[in-house]
Amino acid sequence: MSEITVFTAKKIITMNAPMPEATAVAVRDGRIVEVGTLDTLKPWLDAHPHSIDNRFAGHVLMPGFIDPHLHPTLGATLLPCHFITAMEWVLPDRTCAPVTSHEAYLARLAEVVANEGADEEIVVTWGFHRIWHGNVDREALNAISATKPIFVWQRSFHEIIANDAAIAWMGTAREDLERHPQIDLASGRFFETGLAVAVQAMNKVLLAPQRYMKGLELVKRTVHLGGHTTIGELAYPLMNDQLEWQVLSMTMGAKDTPFRTKMVPRALQRGNFEGSPEEDVRRVAEYAERSTEKMFFGNNIKLFTDGGFFAELMQMRGPGFIDGHHGEWLMAPEAFETYARAFWLAGKQIHVHCTGDMGLELALDVLQKLQDEKPRFNHRFTIEHFGVSNPEQVQRIKDLGAIVSANVYYVHELGEAYWQKSIGYERASQMARLGSLERAGVKFALHSDFTMAPAMPLNSAWVAVNRIAESGAVLCPEECISVEAAMRAITIDAAYVLGMEDEVGSIRAGKKADFTVLEQDPFAVDPTALRDIPIWGTVFEGTPFPIAS
Amino acid sequence: MTPRIPVTVLSGYLGSGKTTIVNRRLAEPGPLRLAVLVNDFGAVNVDARLIEAADSPVVELANGCVCCSIGDDLGAALDAVAALPQPPDHVLLEASGVADPARIAMTVGYWPGFRLDAIVVAADAETVRKRAQDKYVGNLVRQQLASADLIALTKTDLLYEHQADDLQAWLALVAPRARLVETQFGNIPNALLIGQASPSPTAPGYHGSHADIFVTATLNPETPVNLPRLKAALDALPETVHRVKGLVEDAESGETVLVQSVGARHEITPAPGLAPTGLVLIAPRPTASLDAAVEALSRACTEPAD
Repeated sequence: MSEITVFTAKKIITMNAPMPEATAVAVRDGRIVEVGTLDTLKPWLDAHPHSIDNRFAGHVLMPGFIDPHLHPTLGATLLPCHFITAMEWVLPDRTCAPVTSHEAYLARLAEVVANEGADEEIVVTWGFHRIWHGNVDREALNAISATKPIFVWQRSFHEIIANDAAIAWMGTAREDLERHPQIDLASGRFFETGLAVAVQAMNKVLLAPQRYMKGLELVKRTVHLGGHTTIGELAYPLMNDQLEWQVLSMTMGAKDTPFRTKMVPRALQRGNFEGSPEEDVRRVAEYAERSTEKMFFGNNIKLFTDGGFFAELMQMRGPGFIDGHHGEWLMAPEAFETYARAFWLAGKQIHVHCTGDMGLELALDVLQKLQDEKPRFNHRFTIEHFGVSNPEQVQRIKDLGAIVSANVYYVHELGEAYWQKSIGYERASQMARLGSLERAGVKFALHSDFTMAPAMPLNSAWVAVNRIAESGAVLCPEECISVEAAMRAITIDAAYVLGMEDEVGSIRAGKKADFTVLEQDPFAVDPTALRDIPIWGTVFEGTPFPIAS
Repeated sequence: MTPRIPVTVLSGYLGSGKTTIVNRRLAEPGPLRLAVLVNDFGAVNVDARLIEAADSPVVELANGCVCCSIGDDLGAALDAVAALPQPPDHVLLEASGVADPARIAMTVGYWPGFRLDAIVVAADAETVRKRAQDKYVGNLVRQQLASADLIALTKTDLLYEHQADDLQAWLALVAPRARLVETQFGNIPNALLIGQASPSPTAPGYHGSHADIFVTATLNPETPVNLPRLKAALDALPETVHRVKGLVEDAESGETVLVQSVGARHEITPAPGLAPTGLVLIAPRPTASLDAAVEALSRACTEPAD
């Protein structure tokens, strides 16, 4: 058995109600021996060899942050792109300063093409947004380079603008592009179904194994940068089990990775003509034998009801969308019910992607049936994302024993856009209604669904506590939550959502020695400054991992 | 350039009978090389034995990202089909039961190297109206029907005559553009499903076949054709004519053009270098008005321009 290390700190916020604060924590072999003060730790320290580590004397320790829903593979395709964004993005290998005008956008893009992107086959930049960057079209990109293929990927992925070199690089017959109603060659725009034509060409670069690997290294550092020590990959695999498992094992599964990943498999896998729920229950069970300390499967599975929130394809109950379009189902409601039943009867924890109030309604209707057929306690049926809902559904979530993992960042980035263009003020301002959940006593976590939101738990907490939208306006203060609830939602309640609360999520004897080391106390700062709290780094299973400056 | 491969999008909600149609196609392949793409999510019922036995490539699409096009398998599958050493003559895409066929048609119809043949939507005659009122999928079912060029109405043998009449009247409201085909056990002739019927060089006339489920009529214009008039005549064809296809000579350019019409969807594209073959009309039985249709098209083709 190793020697005990005692970390002292200005303050230790344990997120463990019976002892909410402490100043010293004793750690041995990756686990917490005891938390308290140097005085209260004395019996342990008198009995065992130990050393005192005072490096955090000026810092605040919290339980290691947990993001219970993100997608490393998706992050890996985006992070190697060049970010030119209206908001500051702090990435592990760069900080992207805000670029908020047309001229500044083109100037920055020209810099990227001349420098960072000079050796790349194609330059792909992400973050373009007309509101800030004006009309960037093919001609403007041609002026930057006549020879380097440039693809400008719009911030919510719904549009790509290409220069002539990029259009030529795609290798698609020009007349095939010209006849496409959703490709405008004059302006270089690819949108809606035309977007898929551009992305299909870009995929050979975006998904090339070497780039994927490099992207995953960046994801790894991004996760650390956010202060996480545990994450959930919430739909494994994204595309291809063999390739993904191999590359994920080499990166996320490596010894030096300062966090662990709970893998949550998709309940059904397409592409093999095997459609029966029984086969899928067996397939999911077989993943268990791959588990390692760093990457492991548990009792959780992932299902989907309605479409993506950023894509405006959530299923909405009446009165629906302003423009009258309909959302989509990602699987037929009957198929959803069949699969949910198979995994419910197998005793699984079911995580359901639900974005609109109709998607949520389906999840709750099915949960009601399953409860009637085979009642279960502590089943932790989890509503993932929780975009649009109504207050009565919150009561049903509670009555049926469900819990929530929310992407509250929607409020910040989409709240005003969806108010103006999509569903109107009443419902848009109330998206991610966490205040109602807190008042009802429903457990919930905050997640990033990275890359849908920055993988920054303190940023998500900031949105949840303040509900500050892009322009600075506050949307529906009635749905703001307390700092206490927000801190629980990125620690102990996030652990609960992943079924890991016995191991992580709070600082108490016996748990993993995972800490997030902060420069300030989240309970003491002005709530509007939550996201600005600097993070020193983390302690993962007793080992400090500073964020490299 | 090589001609674009036509894609028939076969849509329809769960239980509509569309998989039976696919199975039937696999079991009874026609002379065309057909590739079959299956894009269903958790409800794949295509008969595995048929897939093994078929000489057509059959591909089930795999997962992609929900939120963006990264890893989108439909495009990748189409590219793979186009790159086959022997590309197929035609693609039958069984769309997911929850897909919007208009959107799928837009994706595949304009995918490089492909073009849309038609949107065929299967509907269960017994249950479709109830489905169209469903809390979760009512909108979707109506949207699918409204996008159809052809509606393959299955299990019509289970309806009384007055029910069948009611259903047709209702479909005329929900899907005003669509032509109806009644099918049993997934049995739609290739001529109707994918427009596979070779224009006959012989004189105009009827060619009953396929157990009299459908009939064709051939029309050979004796002079080059006035395209605007032809288009107007195609628009005015009676609903009993489901497809018109063939090569004719454009009076204005003197070049051959390919005429393809499915229900209310018409496409006339240049086909330089090919010899005119005349037009084939395809209609399900009974076809009292096919004579009139041939007559109307014939007049439009041969009358001189104004």
